[in-house]
Amino acid sequence: MFAYTVKRLLQGVVTIWFIATATFAAMHAVPGDPLTGERATTEEIRRNLEARYGLDRPVLDQYFIYMGNLLKGDFGISFTQQNRSVNDIIREHFPVSATLGILSIVFAGLGGILWGALTALYRQRLPDLAIMFLVILAISVPSFVVAALGQLALVIMNTTLGFSVLPIAGWGTLSHMLVPSIVLGLGTMAFLTRLMRSSMLEIVNSDFIRTARAKGLPPARVFLRHELRNAILPVVTVLGPAIAAITTGGFVVELVFAIPGLGRYFVEAVQQLDYTVIMGTTVFYGGFLVFMVIAVDLVYGLIDPRVTLE
Amino acid sequence: MMETVSTETRTALLKVDDLHVEFDTYGGIVKAVRNVGFKVDEGRTLAIVGESGCGKSVTVQSIMGLTPTPPGRITKGTAMFDGVDILGQKVIDGEDIRGARIGMIFQDPMSSLNPTMTVGDQVAETLIVHRGFSRKQAFNRAVELLQMTHIPEPEKRARQYPFTFSGGMLQRAMIAMAIACEPSILIADEPTTALDVTIQAQILDLLRELQGSTGMAIILITHNLGVVAHLADDVAVMYAGEIVEQGTAEDVFYRSAHPYTLGLRAAMPLNDPARKHGLKPIEGTPPDMFDPPRGCAYFARCPYAMSVCEKNAPPRFEIGPHHHSHCWVHHSDAPPGAREQLRVEAT
Amino acid sequence: MSSGDPRFGPTDFEPVTAARSAETIPRPSLSYWQDAWRRLKENRRALISLYIVIALGLFTVPGPWFWRVDPAAQDVDQISQPPALPEVATIIGPYVPWAGVLATPAADSDAAVPLVTDNLRLFEPATTQAVRLVWDPAAEATGYAVYRSVYDPDPDRALGLPLTRISGAEAVSFEDRLGLEPKPYWYSIVVLDQDGIEVEEYRTLEVQPLRAVSPEEAEGRGWVDDAANLQLGNQIRLPYHPLGTDYLGRDMLARLMYGARVSLFIGIFAPLLFVLVGIVYGSAAGFIGGRFDQMLMRFADFVVALPFLLFMILFKIGFGIGPGESGVFPMLVALVLLAWPASARLVRGQILQIREEGYIGASRLLGAGTGYLVFRHMLPNTIGVILVTLTFAVPSVIFTEAFLSFIGMGVAPPTPSWGSMSNEGIRTMLSHPHELIFPAMLISVTVLAFNLLGDGLRDALDVRMRGRE
Repeated sequence: MFAYTVKRLLQGVVTIWFIATATFAAMHAVPGDPLTGERATTEEIRRNLEARYGLDRPVLDQYFIYMGNLLKGDFGISFTQQNRSVNDIIREHFPVSATLGILSIVFAGLGGILWGALTALYRQRLPDLAIMFLVILAISVPSFVVAALGQLALVIMNTTLGFSVLPIAGWGTLSHMLVPSIVLGLGTMAFLTRLMRSSMLEIVNSDFIRTARAKGLPPARVFLRHELRNAILPVVTVLGPAIAAITTGGFVVELVFAIPGLGRYFVEAVQQLDYTVIMGTTVFYGGFLVFMVIAVDLVYGLIDPRVTLE
Repeated sequence: MMETVSTETRTALLKVDDLHVEFDTYGGIVKAVRNVGFKVDEGRTLAIVGESGCGKSVTVQSIMGLTPTPPGRITKGTAMFDGVDILGQKVIDGEDIRGARIGMIFQDPMSSLNPTMTVGDQVAETLIVHRGFSRKQAFNRAVELLQMTHIPEPEKRARQYPFTFSGGMLQRAMIAMAIACEPSILIADEPTTALDVTIQAQILDLLRELQGSTGMAIILITHNLGVVAHLADDVAVMYAGEIVEQGTAEDVFYRSAHPYTLGLRAAMPLNDPARKHGLKPIEGTPPDMFDPPRGCAYFARCPYAMSVCEKNAPPRFEIGPHHHSHCWVHHSDAPPGAREQLRVEAT
Repeated sequence: MSSGDPRFGPTDFEPVTAARSAETIPRPSLSYWQDAWRRLKENRRALISLYIVIALGLFTVPGPWFWRVDPAAQDVDQISQPPALPEVATIIGPYVPWAGVLATPAADSDAAVPLVTDNLRLFEPATTQAVRLVWDPAAEATGYAVYRSVYDPDPDRALGLPLTRISGAEAVSFEDRLGLEPKPYWYSIVVLDQDGIEVEEYRTLEVQPLRAVSPEEAEGRGWVDDAANLQLGNQIRLPYHPLGTDYLGRDMLARLMYGARVSLFIGIFAPLLFVLVGIVYGSAAGFIGGRFDQMLMRFADFVVALPFLLFMILFKIGFGIGPGESGVFPMLVALVLLAWPASARLVRGQILQIREEGYIGASRLLGAGTGYLVFRHMLPNTIGVILVTLTFAVPSVIFTEAFLSFIGMGVAPPTPSWGSMSNEGIRTMLSHPHELIFPAMLISVTVLAFNLLGDGLRDALDVRMRGRE
C-alpha cells in the first residue's frame, strides 16, 4: 500500500513535469512570442518578467529557469496586473472554486447514486422513464446554457415573489452557493445517474444477489447491504474524471454567476492573453487534477477489497 | 446409502404438482417447465437430471421464488411444503421458509458470493436475519459452520473476502451458509459443475456427511449422472421442460424405462472397461421451446419412435412402485418387441 | 397388455424410420450486420435519432443552397427580430421637416391642475419615419420634458429614455426620429414648473409606429428594383427572416446553417481524424508489442493525463488565430493532438484481446495469413467498438467547441458556430431569448441524437446483447 502510494505519487510528479513542459512549449509557440514582454503593460512589470523568466536568454535557458521556479513552488507573475504573483491569485481565488466544486461533487455524487438506484429499481416504469428522460436532457444541454437557465430561473423566481429569495450572482454566503453548485453538478449528476443505473442493473441480475435472496434476506437488506454497496463501486472509479469535469465546468458557472473563483480568473486571463497567469494556473490545475485522480484510485483501493494496491 | 424405508412410512416434505413456468423473451414465450410434479421425502436425496436448458434449474428456482418476474411467470401448479403452498411466494411465510427451512446452493460459487463482504459475515447474515442472533453470536456460529464444512483455519477464513478463496472452498462456504439455519431441505443446483473433478467428489462427500448428521433432504440438480450415482436416492429425469421418468435411483439406473434415460446413460463417461462401445451421443438437438411439439418431445431423437408419438403426448405409465415413465412404448398396444428391447438395453 | 385402446389404430404403433426433423432450426440465421441493423431498427429512440442526424445533415449541406441569405449581411431595419411572419413596409413620401406647433396657454387658467398638459395626441399617423406629438399647453409651465419608454411607465413612473427638454410653455410639439421601430412606445410629457423642475405628474401616450419607407429608401436598401413603380400607400415586403435576426440584424436561419457547417464539420471531422490516428497508433502498439508497445502506451498515458479543456485552450492560444482566419483548423489540430489516446488504447486493447481468442488460433491453424486474419476477423470484431466510439465522440467535440466559443477561445467572429452564437445569445437572453434558444437547441438536439444513436449502436453491435430483448 505504502509502496504503491509512493509509486503513484512519483508517476504523478512525472506527469506534472510533462504538463509543465507542454504548457511551456504551447506558450512559446504563440506567434510573436508574447513572453518577450513587449505586451506587458508597464515598464516595471516588463523588467520583472525579464528578470524572472530570463526572457533575454535562449529558449532552453528560459525553460530551465521556468522549471526551477516551479520546483520552488513559484507559479510566476501576471504581466497585465500590477505584478501580482500567480501564487497570490491561486491563494485568493482557489478556495472559492474549491468550495463550489466540493458542493457540486457532493450534490452530483449523492444525486447520481440516489437517482441511479431509483431508476434501476423502477426499471422501465414511470419513475425510471421520467428520470432517464431528464438525465438525457441534462447530458445534452451545454453547461453554459444550464448556467444561463439557472440564473434566469433565479431572476424569474425573485421577480414573481417580489423579493430576493436567492441572490442571482456573487459569492459570500450559502445562499450564493446553492444554485451555482446545483447547476455545476447537474451534468455530472446525470452522467453518474446513468452509470449507477447500469451498474445497479448488472448487480441486480448477478449470481450473488440470487444467493442473497435465496438466503431469505428481507428486500431492504438485499438492497442496502448487497446491491447498493457493490453498485456504488464503479461510480467511485469515475470520480476522477468527474472532478475534472466539474473543475472546468466551474469556469463557465463562475463566469455566469460572477463568482470570484480561480476558474473565472483563468478565463479572464485567457481572454486578456495574460500568458504568465495562463501558464501558472494551467500547471496548477493540471497538478491538482493529477493528484485528485491518484487520490480517487487510492480511496477505491481502500473500499474495494478485491483491489490490492501493489 | 440406500435406505430401505418402506413406502408407507415415507412422508413427503415437499410435494410439487403440475408446475408450469413460462418466460417472455424476444422470440416469444418459452414454455420452460411443463407439468412437472415430484416429491421429496425426509432425509432422502432427489436428483433432477437432464441436459442443459431442460428446465431443471427453473423448476427449483420457481419453488424458491427466485425466477425473475417478469420475464418469468408461474402459470400453474402447487408446491406444498409442510402443508403450505409456497409456490411463487416471496414474502408471506416465505421469508421463514426461504433460507431458513429450505437452503440453496448454486452452480458457480465464484460469482455466487458477495465480493465485498467477508465470508463469515455472509454466513452470519442468515442467522442474524432468521434466528435473531447478535452479530457476535452469529459470527461465532459462522466460524463453527465453516469448520463443519471442513474449511481449514475457519477463524481466519471467516474474516476474508471471497476472492481469496478457491472454488471448492467457496462452495463449502456456500454450503455452510445454506445449512446455517438447519433447513429441512437443501437445494443444490449443479453444485459441482464449475469445480475440478477431485473437488467435486469432496463436495459430494460433504453433502452426504451433512445429510447424515442433520437428516435434511436434498434436491440435487445436475446433468451429471456420475453425481447422481454418488448421492441420489430418487431420480427424476427431465427433458424439454417435462419429467419423462421418475423412480428410485436403482430403478432409473438399472431398469430405465424411457429411451431418453437410456440415451443419457449411453452418453455418460464410465470408468468401466466392460462397456462394449464408447460414448454414444444422442443425435439431434432438443426441441424448440418456443413451440414445443404436441406429441412426445423426444420423438425427433428417439430410436423407439412410433407413429403415435408424433402427435400424442405420452401419458404416465406406472412401471413399478415409485417408478413411472412417460413413453408410449409402455402402452399395451405397442409392439412387445420394442418394450423387450428397451428392457434388455436397460439392464 | 393386449386390450386395444380405442383411440389408436394398429398403424399408430408402427416404428418410425423416416428422417425426422431433429436438426431444423426454426429461426432464420442472420449475419452480424443484418442482426445489428435489425436490432437498431427495433430501437425506436435510436432510429429517430438516426433520422434527426440525417435531417441535420440536410440542414447543413444542401440547406444553404436553398436559403440563399448571406449570414454576414446585416439588416439594420430588423435587429434582434424574433421569429415572425414576413414584415411589410408602407410606402410614404420622403421625409419633410416639420416646424412644430406653438400654442398659447389659456389665460383664464381654470384648469384644475395648472402644471399638467392635456390632450396628448399624434399630429399625424406615427410611422417609423417620424412620430409627431402635440399637446395642450399647461398654464404655469416653463417648459416640457419628453420621455420615451418601451414599457408602460405605470405604476412605477418608469418614464424611460429622456428625449428632450423644451423650454417655453407654448412649444407644445415634439418630433421623434430616434431609431424608431415598428413596436409600441410609451411617450410621456412632464411639465417643468417655474423653477424649471419636473413636476411629479405626467401624461402618457402609447404609440405604435407603422413601418414606413420612402420609395428612394426602399430602392436604396434593395427592397425594390425600381422606385418609379411605387405608389404612395403601396405595401412592400421586407427581407424575410423566418427565425428572426441577431443583435446585429443578421439572419438567424442563415447563420444557424453556416454555424452547423462549422460545428458539425468540427464535430464529425475531428472524431474521424483522431479515431483514425488512434487506430493507427493503437494497432501499431498492439501488433508490434513488446517494448515498443510499452513506450507508445506510456506516452499515451501522459497525453491522457493532460487536462483536456485546459490544453484545448492552451493549444488554441499557442496556434493563435491570424486576421481573417476562422480558427477552425487550429481547433481541429488541437482536438486531434489531445483526443487520440482514448481510441488508441481501445484499439490496442481490442487487438490484444482478439489475438488471444480461440477463433484466431483456429483460423491460424487452418492456414490463414495475417492479412486474412486482420480483414476477416480482427477488423469486423473491432469496427463495432470503433463505430460506437466515433458516435459518442461527436457530442463531446460539439460540447468542446461550444465551451471554447463560450469563453471566447472558439472560432473567431464573424464566422458563426452554434457555440459562438449561443455565447452571443446569452447576453441578450432576457430581452431576445430566440438568439440563445435556437443555437442552444440545435446543440442539444445534435448531442442528444448522437448520444442516443451511440447507445443504440452499442446495444446493436454488442455481441453479448445478441438475441436479448
